[in-house]
Amino acid sequence: MPDPMLRLQVESFLYEYAALLDEERFAEWPNLFAEGPCRYEVLSRENVDLGLPVPIMSCYSHGMVRDRVSMLVQGTLTYRKMRLLRQVSNVRAHAAADGSVIARAGITVFQSDEEGVSSLYIVGRYDASLASANGSFRITGMSVVVDSFGIDTMLAVPI
Amino acid sequence: MPSADHSSTPWPAADFSRVPFDVFTSADRYAREQSRIFRGPVWNYLCLEIEIPNVGDFVRTWVGDLSVLVSRADDGSIHAFENSCAHRGAQLTSKLRGNTRRHTCAYHLWTYSLTGELLGVPMEKGVNGKGGMPPHFDKRNHGLNCLRVTTFGGLVFGTLSNDTPPIEDYLGPHAVEQIQRLLVQRQPRVLGYLRQRIPGNWKLYNENVRDPYHGSLLHLFQVSFRLQQPTMRGGIKMDADLKNTWNHSILTEEDAGNRKTLSDAYAGTGKFAPEMRMADPSLTQVPLDLGDGYKTTILSIFPTLVVAQVDNTYAIRHLRPKGPNLVELHITYLGFESDTPEMTQDKLLTSNFIGPAGYISLEDGEALRLVQEGIRTRRPGQHEMLEMGGVGEIRDTDYLSQEISIRGFWSFYHRIMGAAP
Repeated sequence: MPDPMLRLQVESFLYEYAALLDEERFAEWPNLFAEGPCRYEVLSRENVDLGLPVPIMSCYSHGMVRDRVSMLVQGTLTYRKMRLLRQVSNVRAHAAADGSVIARAGITVFQSDEEGVSSLYIVGRYDASLASANGSFRITGMSVVVDSFGIDTMLAVPI
Repeated sequence: MPSADHSSTPWPAADFSRVPFDVFTSADRYAREQSRIFRGPVWNYLCLEIEIPNVGDFVRTWVGDLSVLVSRADDGSIHAFENSCAHRGAQLTSKLRGNTRRHTCAYHLWTYSLTGELLGVPMEKGVNGKGGMPPHFDKRNHGLNCLRVTTFGGLVFGTLSNDTPPIEDYLGPHAVEQIQRLLVQRQPRVLGYLRQRIPGNWKLYNENVRDPYHGSLLHLFQVSFRLQQPTMRGGIKMDADLKNTWNHSILTEEDAGNRKTLSDAYAGTGKFAPEMRMADPSLTQVPLDLGDGYKTTILSIFPTLVVAQVDNTYAIRHLRPKGPNLVELHITYLGFESDTPEMTQDKLLTSNFIGPAGYISLEDGEALRLVQEGIRTRRPGQHEMLEMGGVGEIRDTDYLSQEISIRGFWSFYHRIMGAAP
């Protein structure tokens, strides 16, 4: 049974998630994850369809989530600096029996370079498990399954 | 517009310490590479035997610009042919992998065997006595364009030339030994694929994997977290043609002491951050499967294959050129049949080291892009310089700050391309 209120709450959470990353507030990104066990993965659609487990990017603990952005925060990573715009769409959400919230959404990421030239970077979907926390959510698990698994140049920042 | 190629121009340095920039940008040269290299006397990596274990299994891959199907036939033998119908040239399949009894063209249903022979032509004899193929038409003359196939250590190779030497001679002793070490002593299994489209010429990637000089300078993660550093032991070994390189590094206890002098090596770039700590260092604590102490071993086989061990990751990297300015890096990430579930989980953890998001590899995509972008506007007669580690003779080294193996690549490239640059 779809719950429009729940969907709105999840939508609002995912919009904040996308905005935080678009604004390159990388140091705050780990705050969106549950303090206890949590997981973040970017998966290739090719591997998912073949049942193969290797991720493109993965964090299996809150510490790994923090480590993934630490060089971005310090500015020591050499990568292609592009302005990214993450557009979240087709949001669906339902409450699971254990009280967590299962969220699914489409994600489109555009990239724009220093001279203002834009292109499509990533098309995929979010597949997330959320825990309610203080009127909002924390991510306990998130898979970003990308259809555009032929990654343009590199994947330096989380999606 | 004048061509960037000048076939009468000699290579700018006899020891290949200079490389004309236009070898990375010229469309004419790219077209010539298709015939001289990819359809020439080289062994092109096609796939792993374990990807087509059963009769009828096939995968689709690339040999330069050629789309190629690799197919397992009834007798277990492996065959490779162009993915293009002998009739009107249509692509036979756009599937990446599958299992089939026949390869059938969708357009007029011409049907081929698993070995690439033409089996069936609908309405070959016409309909009601009218039409059909002319009397001299013989299906035996219209099979698919086949490659000669060989295998070594579970790797499948193909060539379109009759002059390609036997595979072991082509690989050379160091490659034979490393393939045994990485792919034969344990039975590999595919844990997944990673793909990265790098906006740079395919030869820039060949330079990159023959360039241990950049390892500790571009990839700061591994230095900050003590996985690699410029003072560590290692070296390079090449085959007799100088086309294939094995480079390796060994991290020892004494390297910990050497870290004190490291700041100097970074020449005040501000990039070295020894104070960084990981919140969860489990990734860097996975033990090496093999007890031989090698931290990184990169085996680069001309023209497009790399068999790489980076820390405790094991992968096949295949270069798929997409014109002079773009290359797809296709990675087959491996575990082993003997791995315990914990070891497999560790390999998913350490996969964070490699690939398009890899802590020790993602910068390569950017480095290649920067070079391709930087040389786009360089003029004919201008060239890159390769002098690190010494000039003159191209030889093996027992040190890592070198570009000698890149010169080895260019000397063979020059030879196989026939004409001067």
